[in-house]
Amino acid sequence: MTTDAADAAPSNPPNSSTEATGATGRLEQTNPDYDPNVVIEAQNLTKVYRDFWGRQKVRALNALDLEVRKGEIFGLLGPNGSGKSTTIKLLLGLLFPTSGRAVVLGENATNVAKNERIGYLPEESYLYKFLNAEETLDFYGRLFDMPAKVRRERVQALIEQVGLGKAKRRQLKEYSKGMTRRIGLAQALINDPELILLDEPTSGLDPLGTREMKDMILKLRDEGKTIVMCSHLLADVQDVCDRVAILFQGDLKEMGRVDSLLKVSGETQIRSQDLPESAHAEIRKIIEQHGGTNITIENPTTTLEELFLGIVRDSEARPGMRSAPADKSS
Amino acid sequence: MVREEFPQFLEWFGPGILLLLGVLAVGALLGLFFGYLVAAFRHGPFEAFYVVSQVVAEAVPDFLQTSPRRVLAMAGLAIKEALRRRVVLVTFVIFALSILFGGWFMDSGSDKPEQIYINFVMWGTQMLVLLMGLLISAFSLPEDIKNKTIYTIVTKPVRSTEIVLGRILGFGFLGTVLLALMGIISFFFIWRNLDHKHMIDGPSQTVAAFVEIDSETMKSTISGKRVSPNAISEATTTIDNGHAHRLEIYQDIRSGDDEALQTGDIVETIKRDDGKVTYHRARCMPVGGHTHKVTVSGTGASATVSLGPAIGYFRARQPIYSDELAFYDRDGVKDDKGINVGKEWGYRGYVDGGSRGNLSTLSRAKFSFTNFDASRFPDADFAPLEVNLGVFRSTKGDIEERVTGGLRFESVPENPDVENRYISEIVEFETAEYTVQTLPVPKKLVGRIVAPDGSLVEEGEYDLFSDFAGSNGKLELSLSCRDVNQYLGCARPDVYFRGKDQPFWWNFFKGYVGIWCQMMIIIAMGVALSTFLSTPLVMMGVIAIMIVGFNTSFIQNLAKVDEQGNLLNEFGGGPIASFVRILTQQNVMQDLETGVFNTVIAQADYLAINSMKLLTYLAPDFRQLNFSNYLVYGFAVDDQQLLIAVAVTSAFLLGLVLCGYFCLKTREIAK
Ligand SMILES: Nc1ncnc2c1ncn2[C@@H]1O[C@H](COP(=O)(O)OP(=O)(O)OP(=O)(O)O)[C@@H](O)[C@H]1O
Ligand SMILES: [Mg+2]
Repeated sequence: MTTDAADAAPSNPPNSSTEATGATGRLEQTNPDYDPNVVIEAQNLTKVYRDFWGRQKVRALNALDLEVRKGEIFGLLGPNGSGKSTTIKLLLGLLFPTSGRAVVLGENATNVAKNERIGYLPEESYLYKFLNAEETLDFYGRLFDMPAKVRRERVQALIEQVGLGKAKRRQLKEYSKGMTRRIGLAQALINDPELILLDEPTSGLDPLGTREMKDMILKLRDEGKTIVMCSHLLADVQDVCDRVAILFQGDLKEMGRVDSLLKVSGETQIRSQDLPESAHAEIRKIIEQHGGTNITIENPTTTLEELFLGIVRDSEARPGMRSAPADKSS
Repeated sequence: MVREEFPQFLEWFGPGILLLLGVLAVGALLGLFFGYLVAAFRHGPFEAFYVVSQVVAEAVPDFLQTSPRRVLAMAGLAIKEALRRRVVLVTFVIFALSILFGGWFMDSGSDKPEQIYINFVMWGTQMLVLLMGLLISAFSLPEDIKNKTIYTIVTKPVRSTEIVLGRILGFGFLGTVLLALMGIISFFFIWRNLDHKHMIDGPSQTVAAFVEIDSETMKSTISGKRVSPNAISEATTTIDNGHAHRLEIYQDIRSGDDEALQTGDIVETIKRDDGKVTYHRARCMPVGGHTHKVTVSGTGASATVSLGPAIGYFRARQPIYSDELAFYDRDGVKDDKGINVGKEWGYRGYVDGGSRGNLSTLSRAKFSFTNFDASRFPDADFAPLEVNLGVFRSTKGDIEERVTGGLRFESVPENPDVENRYISEIVEFETAEYTVQTLPVPKKLVGRIVAPDGSLVEEGEYDLFSDFAGSNGKLELSLSCRDVNQYLGCARPDVYFRGKDQPFWWNFFKGYVGIWCQMMIIIAMGVALSTFLSTPLVMMGVIAIMIVGFNTSFIQNLAKVDEQGNLLNEFGGGPIASFVRILTQQNVMQDLETGVFNTVIAQADYLAINSMKLLTYLAPDFRQLNFSNYLVYGFAVDDQQLLIAVAVTSAFLLGLVLCGYFCLKTREIAK
């Protein structure tokens, strides 16, 4: 229970499971069945790109059901053209769904008001090339109606945070790809958002930059923010994401916690320290007694890469939705 | 200058607001209808209701939550972006070049140099500024969408209103600065080119340089023409700015030596035996609408004569028009058109001067003035009346003589049943046909006071302001023709009192406000269209609207119909009928045969022309916003029309912002 007067109003009984009620108070009132723990909810989300005459060109996303909970890092995985960016754009209201709906922070995805609490890093940093880093961040700060003093502090802090201190007075058109990416991230964080959507955050970054980016994402999660990122760099996703969804040609193929997805249920791994070579034969015998077939003992877990390639191979052989893309985390 | 309309802002405002509301309502209905159609096509007929109602429901909070800081941020960005595109700079350079070199091709010695200069700068400024407005507004949003920079904008809490408003304000600000610069430069350009001084063309700058005029022939040795009847000697000035003036010394005979008559142009004062005084004064004869002040220092032949700067340019004449003009026919019966004199009759109405058989015609044109007050005139001793009359001569009259007109002034009592009336004697004047002549109406008029029953109360001299117009500021002026068998024609703009001139710079400013209004509409239109069209289409759209806008009255005239619904102003029917005539080689005067085919054609034409007419309500009437003619002809820009122009502009801006908002909001940005 909070002591906040607005939350204690009779029309809005305090929700015992809510951790952060302050900022979401307004939304709870407009949307009675809004669960503050569900940050993103997509139901049957479908996007068909059509040409000028309304003829179907591409079915970029097909009946996606998705739920992202507060405080997690959610990864969208998939090969090129599988609909990752399309999903993010639908969540932002940059695209309108052909059918289905997306609710973000309790508001319809097309509602502008929700942007108050969202940060977005596009695939490429679409910024005004004639502005320098400070001007860019100042401009976006104004768009959040931030007063001048708050803006100045926030701009300096972010420039330091993304490591552009030396280049803050240079025009963006002089920036390298990695620098552009960094200022793009700073721009997405200008309003201290609750939900951050990152479209391929590590693309164009050097190994060091990639590491920094991943650390930053983890730090943001620790601050209680929700992050949705899409990438085809599997190592990145494996390192940071709590849950992933794997898309292929617009279809959801797999979704669940990274650790449980990577657990190979048909195999057993035995690990032991200082086991003498002679024991191997015995163990093998026991396995054979129990009808087991596998005889390698030092097999590690599979990597995300293997899982991913397996799904892609599998999907190419048998197109269409996978039988049960159930959430394995539950 | 021909003016046909005298709109009053307050009279115009009510119907204007109604028209705006009507257009907005129709626009809203059409928007809902087409919005629903598109939504139904995309999402199916039931979902569409939800989509449309959501857009409508979000519109109100979007407008309410518009934040000035965001609008200003967007405006600032628009300014930086436009400056980077260098359109503004190029526009300014073109302007500067044409000002620098344009002067070479203009003849400052021509008949009306002022008109040529003002016309040149205003027309040039207007074209450049409108073109610039179109270019910067048409490129901006489509470019942002193409570069996808708009993605990082619309994913911030920026309302579509703010994107549209910010752009209009930003570009408007740039345009305003540019226009102001161009205005100030133009002002000094005209000033510098017209301002000049002359010296006397001769051995000395004294009276000795003047030569006697032959008192027999009274012809000038310089121009070869007859000179003024009281001229004594003459000289000419040097040629400056492409012209020279003739200088004259003339006699001015007065009944006494008065302080007020001792001005700086006196060469010699001769006291005569009969007590009268003859002044010899120097004057400069006008050329091309201007003259120079002559100053004489010293007396006699050694007095030096010097000429001051040009006077007469840069006028902003303030006409005081009548509120109403009524014609009365020969029998004194009121009639709204005047006497029909055939082909001439139309713009002007005519009054006749009677005939040999019936000398006592009551035909007259009665102008009613209100707020007739001495404070509106520069000189309280007389009220200058400017008239520009048409004359229709019948061969029965004396064709050689100038036609004489008569003016009579009357007071207009609030309550004619009890109050007396002042009626002046008829003041006669010779008409200068089809040119503007100034008649100084003296403040003291000979006349009489008449009781309500028509009986004479008193005769005497009465004051134009305190007696005639004294009770309620109303004054009636009757124009009659004093020559038998001739006719005088006038329209409401032809007869006006000339009030105090307005300062020229103020008038110049008002003229530029007109250009500013046009520019703002073009910018808003470019921004609104660019929310859903690509740059080339925006340009074509705006240019199409401009073409309609510059021809509004022409199109509205085309669509005029008589009671039966037949087109009035078209020979040979509308566009389709005309085309059929061309194909079938029929002449335009003959009616097409009646039949099903031709009825269909006529109906189609009717539709075509009326949809054109409908367009004129959507396109601004640019001529209504253009005041350069006032400046060119030296009149003060009518304040009522200026107010209307500003109101029309505001209405268009409002409509265009709304239109831009909905188009941008319903547009799929990332498509
Ligand atoms: N504006 C568009 N018009 C038509 N088709 C589009 C458009 N944008 C994307 N597509 C198509 O939709 C599909 C999904 O595209 P999307 O950009 O979502 O892929 P992605 O998963 O982000 O790929 P990548 O990893 O390459 O970024 C692709 O087949 C693409 O060609
Ligand atoms: Mg992508």
